[in-house]
Amino acid sequence: MATRDKLARARTEEYLAEHPADTEALISVRGLKKYYNKGVIKALDGVDVDIHRGEVVVIIGPSGGGKSTLLRSLNLLEEPTEGAVFFEGVDISRKKDDEGKKIDINVVRQKMGMVFQQFNLFPHKTVIENMILAPVELGKLKEAEAREKALKLLERVGLGDRADAYPIQLSGGQQQRVAIVRALCMDPDVMLFDEPTSALDPEMVGEVLDVMKQLAEEGMTMAVVTHEMHFAREVGSRILFLADGKLVEQGTPDEIFSHPKSERLQDFLSKVLI
Amino acid sequence: MFTQAGFAAAFEYWPMFLEGVLCTVLLSAFAVFFGFILALILALCRMCKFAPLRWLATAYVEIFRATPMLVQVLLIYNVFTLAFELPTFLVFGLFRFNRFLPGIVALSLNSGAYLSEVIRSGISSIPIGQTEAARSLGLPAWKTMRLVVLPQAIKNILPAMANEFVTIIKESSITYLIGVQEIMSVVKAVQGATYRQMEALVYAAVLYFCLTFPTSKIIAHFERKMSRGYKR
Repeated sequence: MATRDKLARARTEEYLAEHPADTEALISVRGLKKYYNKGVIKALDGVDVDIHRGEVVVIIGPSGGGKSTLLRSLNLLEEPTEGAVFFEGVDISRKKDDEGKKIDINVVRQKMGMVFQQFNLFPHKTVIENMILAPVELGKLKEAEAREKALKLLERVGLGDRADAYPIQLSGGQQQRVAIVRALCMDPDVMLFDEPTSALDPEMVGEVLDVMKQLAEEGMTMAVVTHEMHFAREVGSRILFLADGKLVEQGTPDEIFSHPKSERLQDFLSKVLI
Repeated sequence: MFTQAGFAAAFEYWPMFLEGVLCTVLLSAFAVFFGFILALILALCRMCKFAPLRWLATAYVEIFRATPMLVQVLLIYNVFTLAFELPTFLVFGLFRFNRFLPGIVALSLNSGAYLSEVIRSGISSIPIGQTEAARSLGLPAWKTMRLVVLPQAIKNILPAMANEFVTIIKESSITYLIGVQEIMSVVKAVQGATYRQMEALVYAAVLYFCLTFPTSKIIAHFERKMSRGYKR
């Protein structure tokens, strides 16, 4: 096992020598591979991506194409088989940096908010307890400060009166809005959205997208995996098209949706409703 | 079989029965406490990445589940008395420590094995998304376990845990064989003193019921309390 890791790391170093990471970018991914079943399934098969501050990068593509795997690799919820993920210029896919200092993934994750398809609110805690748990436990804020901040955020997404409700008492759309502000409570530098509206009833999709749009307008750096093509077109500053574990095409919304170059993308777009 | 005189004669010994109840309660409480801690450690070991630890914990659980409690109690008692010079003072001035301690150890080791399976199933019943959400917020693994996973897991397994606690109270009766002065040993003494078998046993049954029934009711109360947040 250890030797296999070392070999993978050596190949990664080789790749990095030829394709250096963009240290200016907030997130820089190089040669990212994720294999399952000893390489039988290649969820990601060599992806290079840079995400700069203030960008809203929307990742689209067919199911099983590697969109979620890519997103989940950014904060290492998914451990890459090979390749490197740089966050703010530091290779976080390594255990130690060049000076031999341990890279604490928990500290990195504090700066990367994540929103899931299934909301994943903690059911045994109220809305406000959900929000203040991490900042208080990690010593980022005192409880009173955290409460104040959480209430302000809740007001902003129109849930100021639901602070003491339990997640199950909320609708799907409300739960997802809470999940978003729970992540924002940590003051992240980037927000990762993993199909945030896919589990919602159709009439609740809008309220969640509105919150995301507002966030984008405020200049939050975002990476969004979604099937909402309208949102991608309207809010995205750059679109990535991922299929079969590879980054097939990327560009501005106009380039991707109006002038798709690759056949794979043209085929995909012809099948989704826009 | 039963006579009024027999019940009256056995009742004369009520202070002894009371001491027996106290001993059973203490024994069970310690066994539940240490058994739970042991179970938690075993459950975490069985789910950890380090394989030897996993094997060790699994072997422990399998051995304790596959051998009779009676054998375990006698073995542990003998190991204790042969290996250590246990002090002979009286716990609360009533119970012989050199019998009481091996009793607690045997019960804890046994219930730890059973409870660990319950806890493990409780932990794996919590969706992985809960862990991912907590980790994505930057919470370390152990805080995620303590603050997010375990509270939910324990709520799910409370009925099974109540079952185990009640079982410990009842099975603690087996320790009279190594001289722990709990309810059953009082029964033996009263039987000898009154020359009557049945009445003391009936009293013991009533006393055990009076201990186990409230225990399951109390846990059911906590269960209701903890399920707020799960009802609309």
